[in-house]
Amino acid sequence: MSALVDADLLQDIKKFGKVDVSACFSCGNCTAVCPLSNNDGTFPRRMIRYAQVGMKDTLLSSKELWTCYHCGMCSDSCPTQADPGGFMAAARRYAIASYDHTRLAWLMYTQPVFASILAIVLAAFFAVFMYTSHGPQSQTSMNLFGFIPEPLIHYTGLAVMVLAFIFGVAGIVTMVQKLSHQEMKLRGKSKVSGLKALWSSIGVESIGQKRYREDCATAELEVPWYRRRWLIHSLTMWGFLGLLVATVADYGLSLIGVKMPGTWVPIWYPTRLLGTLAGLAMIYGVTMFFVDRFTKANQSAKNSAPADWMLLVLLWIVGFSGFLIEISLYLSNPPAWGYWVFLFHVSVAMELILLAPFMKFAHAIYRPVALYYLSRAGGEASED
Amino acid sequence: MSERRIGVFICHCGGNISDYVDVAAVRDAIKDEPDVVVAETTIFACADATQTDMVQAIKEQNLDGLVVASCSPKLHTFTFRGVARRAGMNPYTYTQVNIREQNSWAHTDDPAGATRKAIRLVKAGIAKTRLSTPLHPLEVETTPATLVIGGGVAGLRAAIGLADIGLGVYLIERGSEIGGWVAKFGNMYPQGRKGSKLVDELMAEVEKRSTIKVFTNAELTAKSGSFGNYKVDIHIGGPKSMGISLNVGSIVVATGFDTYEPEVGEYGYGIDGVLTLPKFKALVDSSKGSLTYHGRPVKTIAYIYCVGSRQPEGNAYCSRYCCAATVHASLEVQNLDPKVHQYHLYRDMRTYGKYELMYTETRERGSVFMKYLEDTPPSVSRNAAGQLVVTTADSLTGGQEVSIPADLVVLVTGMVPRKNDTLINALKLPVGSDGFFNEIHPKLRPVETVVDGVMIAGACQGPKNSSESVASGLAAVTQSAAMLKKGVAELDPMVAQVNAEACTWCGLCEETCPYAAVAKTEVDGREVATVDAAVCKGCGGCAPVCPQDAIDLRGYTDQQIRAMIENLAEVPAL
Repeated sequence: MSALVDADLLQDIKKFGKVDVSACFSCGNCTAVCPLSNNDGTFPRRMIRYAQVGMKDTLLSSKELWTCYHCGMCSDSCPTQADPGGFMAAARRYAIASYDHTRLAWLMYTQPVFASILAIVLAAFFAVFMYTSHGPQSQTSMNLFGFIPEPLIHYTGLAVMVLAFIFGVAGIVTMVQKLSHQEMKLRGKSKVSGLKALWSSIGVESIGQKRYREDCATAELEVPWYRRRWLIHSLTMWGFLGLLVATVADYGLSLIGVKMPGTWVPIWYPTRLLGTLAGLAMIYGVTMFFVDRFTKANQSAKNSAPADWMLLVLLWIVGFSGFLIEISLYLSNPPAWGYWVFLFHVSVAMELILLAPFMKFAHAIYRPVALYYLSRAGGEASED
Repeated sequence: MSERRIGVFICHCGGNISDYVDVAAVRDAIKDEPDVVVAETTIFACADATQTDMVQAIKEQNLDGLVVASCSPKLHTFTFRGVARRAGMNPYTYTQVNIREQNSWAHTDDPAGATRKAIRLVKAGIAKTRLSTPLHPLEVETTPATLVIGGGVAGLRAAIGLADIGLGVYLIERGSEIGGWVAKFGNMYPQGRKGSKLVDELMAEVEKRSTIKVFTNAELTAKSGSFGNYKVDIHIGGPKSMGISLNVGSIVVATGFDTYEPEVGEYGYGIDGVLTLPKFKALVDSSKGSLTYHGRPVKTIAYIYCVGSRQPEGNAYCSRYCCAATVHASLEVQNLDPKVHQYHLYRDMRTYGKYELMYTETRERGSVFMKYLEDTPPSVSRNAAGQLVVTTADSLTGGQEVSIPADLVVLVTGMVPRKNDTLINALKLPVGSDGFFNEIHPKLRPVETVVDGVMIAGACQGPKNSSESVASGLAAVTQSAAMLKKGVAELDPMVAQVNAEACTWCGLCEETCPYAAVAKTEVDGREVATVDAAVCKGCGGCAPVCPQDAIDLRGYTDQQIRAMIENLAEVPAL
């Protein structure tokens, strides 16, 4: 089957990052230096070629797009300064926008002003929405759910999660259709069973960050361990997941009647302790990502897209405001700002979840899918 | 014949001869031949030191004949003629005897036989030399004018150059307009200047020079005479059709090229929107603002390279100019509208030299280059929606087949030789198997042809771009100067001569001469044959057909040949 060319593909990808791969003539220096290239010898330059020629469907059906963690060694070694690593990052942004049929992701990625206004308006909406049902701000003890009713937060949060889930699944379905079609065409039968592949993609690679930690850390041999990208990324991710678990567990405890939401607990209380540690991990991770991007510390931090900043800002706001709330809870005299920070925290957290399928956050769902297919293919990055 | 003093040098050729021929035995066998004064063997006759020894021997022994028994006369005739000349001996009293190609190399299995043969060959050479007479090159005055055929850039620039070195110039152009292809071009690489402007400049220069006469609608119909003094007949068409004759010393052929016209169906040729490179160039040249074709905007262009060039059947050669011309056209398109998508489907990019920079530039500005292999060429069709689609396999993605919807498909066609049968017949131009005119030697004599005084310049010789065409035009100017500026031409004296007393004019010699060098004349009231020494090539074809034995070839007289045969037939006593 002949792939119909979309001549605008490269121009479109350029909207997702300042990349110019026109100068690439497929010399293969990137392939030679890339820790992920295999005997097939075409990764990552084949991805660039897809964009040059306009093979849009083939590009969007490539699991290989998501195997890269942007160590940037290819960009350092590129003789034509085509920045293959930067291109891969832009192409992943393009893919996120393309898997979303609502076009919202496309708008948010390509129109940073729109995205910023949307973020502010949406947060303001949640804040106003919840404030309309507010109660008194207790001065004797920090009674957050007295200010904003717990059921309101709970059900709004649930609604937001369901919406995000629906859009996320829609995106995954689109991606899976493309990838499985391509994989069937190229390989027919999978080499690895589905369960094994699931464990490999979610357990070993996503939670365990194996490739990121091992193969793709070659570029960072000189970097101290606490500054390495895989660790910063892991702390951010584990921190976020930890917070999610703590929140769900806290709700779970109320369901089995152990502890009502909003009950004061000491810092060593398991769910509180988990939340505190996870929050610290996330804040450290996100802060270090900020530092890297501000100082352009490595290839992946050299050219930051507005979407990169947006995710960091939202995560940092959620994490930092959460800590302020925690501090306010342990202060002897409840400060008034604690209530306002709480409202702010909840609003931003909700918009973060709601917008997740339409922004950089979505890589958290698309990358495991691609890694699943990679594992199914026996780890082969080759196309044919 | 009076006594001669002949020197014989027999060469070992470093073993090439002496491994099979007993060189010393040959010397011993001929050293006592009548008239042989010097008989020596040498390791390498052609070595500088040996040449010096020969010169010394000729001078000291006052020799008047020289025999060198070594390799083929094709290699060193001029070397040993030079030896004779430096020693003050007439070069035409030297004879080359070939005992290598025609002896030692041919009889490696029979050294004794080879030695006997060598002795006979050398004796024959001595016999021929004994009867040799001093000859002197013929000098003919030359006409200080050149005919330039073809009014393209090569011809125009050559005409200006010829005029500037003081030669009269006749420039004839078959078409009604001067300027050839270049006059039709808009912006040209590498300077981006318009072709029509370049031709205007050249024409302004031509008009400044009164010694250049330009004829349009003019064709050469016949040529006679010889190098240095040709008479050419020109037919001038148009409303006042007429014929003229011109006298010129040399001729520069700069008749240019035609473009390859694809067959209908070749890469979709014939489908609306499939153009050849010249047509596309004209479209780009005439476009202002954005690029449109038949009123429709052009947003995607696919170029297919090497159409009609480098074909296993047909034109095997590379047309050389088309890669750079196409890349330049694509830059022009990018200047018109940077948003146009351009796909270049090529076999090999040959933007040699500085043109490589244009290739890099158009790539960096977004042109996509896709290599196709000779056995999997792209195909062009119109799909159900009426859209032109080019399908090709992209080598860089492992040969994946891709379909490119295009508004225009440009077939990058190369150069083919022009139809010039009248000219080829009149000038006896050597035509190669590819249909272009052949030079004598591609490196060392790049503009001369085997027809003395007839030179080729520009793309009539083979695909060239305009810079290269002009350069070869100027090379033809230099070569014309070398031929004509002395005022006289030296011709080889080894030509036929007629013994007027013996001749009874039967006309057989005139019939047999391939060069029209023999004519009838009257001597003392009798009709006899005469040979134009300037036209005669010394082929010897006339001598054996003469029933009266009235024709001799200078340097190879009947007497000499007979003496050689007698010596070759003699059985040597070994």
